[in-house]
Amino acid sequence: MPKLASFRTKHDSAVTESSSSASSTSSDSLTSSILHVDMDAFFVSVELLDRPELRGKPVVVGGQPDQRGVVSAASYEARKYGIQSAMPLRTAGRLCPHAVFLESRHHLYSEWSDRIAAILGKYSPVVEMASVDEAYLDLAGTERLHGPPFATAHALLREITAKTGLPCSAGLARTRLVAKVASDQAKPRGLLWVPAGSEEAFLAPLGVRRIPGIGKVTEAALHALGIETVGQLAAATREKLEQNFGQWGTALFRKARGGDTYEFFVDAEPKSISHNHTFPFDTDERIALDATLSLLCQKAMKRLRDAGLSASTITLTLRYAGFETITRAHTLREPTHLDPIVLEIVRQLFERHWDHTRKVRLLGVALSTFTHGGEQLDLLDAGHREKLERLAQATDRLRDRFGFSKVQFGGSLTRGKEEVESSKGKLP
Amino acid sequence: MEFSVKKFDLLQELSLSQGVVERKTTIPILGNILCEAAGNQVTLTATDLELSIRTSCEAKVKKEGSGTIPAKKLLELVRLLPEGEIRFKLLENHWVQILADRKTYKMVGMSKDNFPAIPAFPHPLVTIPAKILSSLIAKTAFAISNEESRYTLNGALLLLKPDTITMVATDGHRLAMAEIDHKFAGLTREVRPLVPKKALTEIQRLASEAGEDGQIEFALDDSHLFFRVGERLLISRMLTGQFPNYEAVLPRDNNKHVVIERNELNDAVKRVAQLADQRSHAVKLSVTQEGVEISASSPEYGEAKETLEKEYKGEPLAIGFNADYMLDFLAAAAEGPISLELKDEQSAGQMRPLAEEAYRYRYIIMPMRI
Repeated sequence: MPKLASFRTKHDSAVTESSSSASSTSSDSLTSSILHVDMDAFFVSVELLDRPELRGKPVVVGGQPDQRGVVSAASYEARKYGIQSAMPLRTAGRLCPHAVFLESRHHLYSEWSDRIAAILGKYSPVVEMASVDEAYLDLAGTERLHGPPFATAHALLREITAKTGLPCSAGLARTRLVAKVASDQAKPRGLLWVPAGSEEAFLAPLGVRRIPGIGKVTEAALHALGIETVGQLAAATREKLEQNFGQWGTALFRKARGGDTYEFFVDAEPKSISHNHTFPFDTDERIALDATLSLLCQKAMKRLRDAGLSASTITLTLRYAGFETITRAHTLREPTHLDPIVLEIVRQLFERHWDHTRKVRLLGVALSTFTHGGEQLDLLDAGHREKLERLAQATDRLRDRFGFSKVQFGGSLTRGKEEVESSKGKLP
Repeated sequence: MEFSVKKFDLLQELSLSQGVVERKTTIPILGNILCEAAGNQVTLTATDLELSIRTSCEAKVKKEGSGTIPAKKLLELVRLLPEGEIRFKLLENHWVQILADRKTYKMVGMSKDNFPAIPAFPHPLVTIPAKILSSLIAKTAFAISNEESRYTLNGALLLLKPDTITMVATDGHRLAMAEIDHKFAGLTREVRPLVPKKALTEIQRLASEAGEDGQIEFALDDSHLFFRVGERLLISRMLTGQFPNYEAVLPRDNNKHVVIERNELNDAVKRVAQLADQRSHAVKLSVTQEGVEISASSPEYGEAKETLEKEYKGEPLAIGFNADYMLDFLAAAAEGPISLELKDEQSAGQMRPLAEEAYRYRYIIMPMRI
């Protein structure tokens, strides 16, 4: 279980770090060694490699403005018009009608992501790809090889830009949280170093929303308490925050101070892996729905295996045309990382809970309750399981080499065609 | 219906029916017990439609007849009454009056006509010593699957041959099998019914009441299994479907053997399992020339390692098992040496107690990927 091994190495260093911080009264003894690398407008930047003529223009990746769906990425030029990630494409189309709208090409992004990961791996053994376009590195202990962390970070960013042509930013700090906030502040094409001890001063003037984990809801609740900046949040007592937010209040109290090293390790392991698909047109086409479930399972399962995990809880999300959403979960007795087992459960959940008279807007598959390896083998079904295991390994290898979309199970293949046909049917 | 019974006799029979009466039934009559007074005895019947029990005790019957009474309440009440005679009398509207000394109770009954019909005991097929059947159940029933979707694994296979009796249970990850030589007079063919888990529990209860030399008469029809001990009769619906071909998964070439005392292995696995992954319960067994090292680790709690010095001459091997599966077997196995027989880290391991020679007892566990 290679993932567990890396997880535990990190855990070990956390133990020593926290014990050393306990023994010394000053926090300056810890250096800023956590680097958060974030690609600038990643999907757009990748598309611009193929379409250099679009440079300097507002570009939106995610689909056409008359389509349902959301913005995956927007160029900095498009952001000036108020376009943001996760905004409905139609809204983006209204905000900036002359923007260039491009379809997402996810296989391409993950290929570039892998190349970036390979570069990062040269700078530190502890690299965590937090998503396709951002990563955390721990540069502690690399000084003798690469020099002080700030110089290393600088060299690293230069190498990424030189080798890929993709712009990126980074934040260097003592904790993950501050590093992430710093990279966000550094964008685009910047590097920001928050020296140990200056975290609170750095965070204080920022709006609370800048803190990862604080969304619309928490922001509104904090505003109601008269807290708008991180500095004000840091001034609030732990009791007050806990009274208003419970356990989340304890976390807020910590986050306002830049978090602690512990957070690095908790976040190192995902709590759930999910994939959703919004249909371009609401549908009750059996084949399209089945194929989409299959594809969502395959995507989620690939990521699960990449993380070296097995999952026991499988959750289906089903959103109807009227936006009414239901989620239904099933817990397996034994965790699994094999597609057919999960797909069968997902299909059963769908079969049991889909109201056939209603059209579906969105389907989602989520995996949770993870275990590291430790998978129980089957006595009665051992031969079959072994075949599935080899199949998963083979498809994963091919996907790693040629991209996810190049290898798919048959169940998801009718999808593209059906979608086109069903949407054609709806056109006047 | 009117009769009187001794509290002691009644309580004993009522207690036996409690495992059968459904606590959370949606069919109200199944929460009741049927009392039938005739001759010089009263017969009590309880059923959940899958499993039924019929027992009787001596009574002074003044007026023959029958009625039904809420089973749980009746047991609680009888348990609280002092030793002595208890009188039962059927009133109007199915109510039943219960009198003991100068204490009077009236319980709401239901019409006996609604009580499900219970099949009659056919001609007995064989007689099995209660002790043997009980022991076979204790050695295997824990491996039965609790997963309702695996219907045919929700019971144990009882395999009766002219000169052996075998019981096999599996949940798809481990398999327990126990066999003993026993000559059945008059049995010429092989009989292999699937006995549901709940029935096995009740058979054990009946067997323990039957005493050291108790005998169980066994019979079956197309859909039911009958177990009779004296006046007590347990009737279970037979599990239908195909029990897996267990013989195909019995290991044949597990040539890496190491022998460990049951208590020593049991205690070590129990301790190490404290620090096993909380979800998978995986423990690792590393078998080398030095002996057996049992280890586990959990990202939340830490790690454990114990070494048992044992003689082993084969190739070194490391294999993962679910600690719970190991402990289930070790709790059921007789004290004394256990032979642990392995092939490789992907193939089923086998454990056999070497002490209890009358029974051929083997336990097969599939490993975990570690």
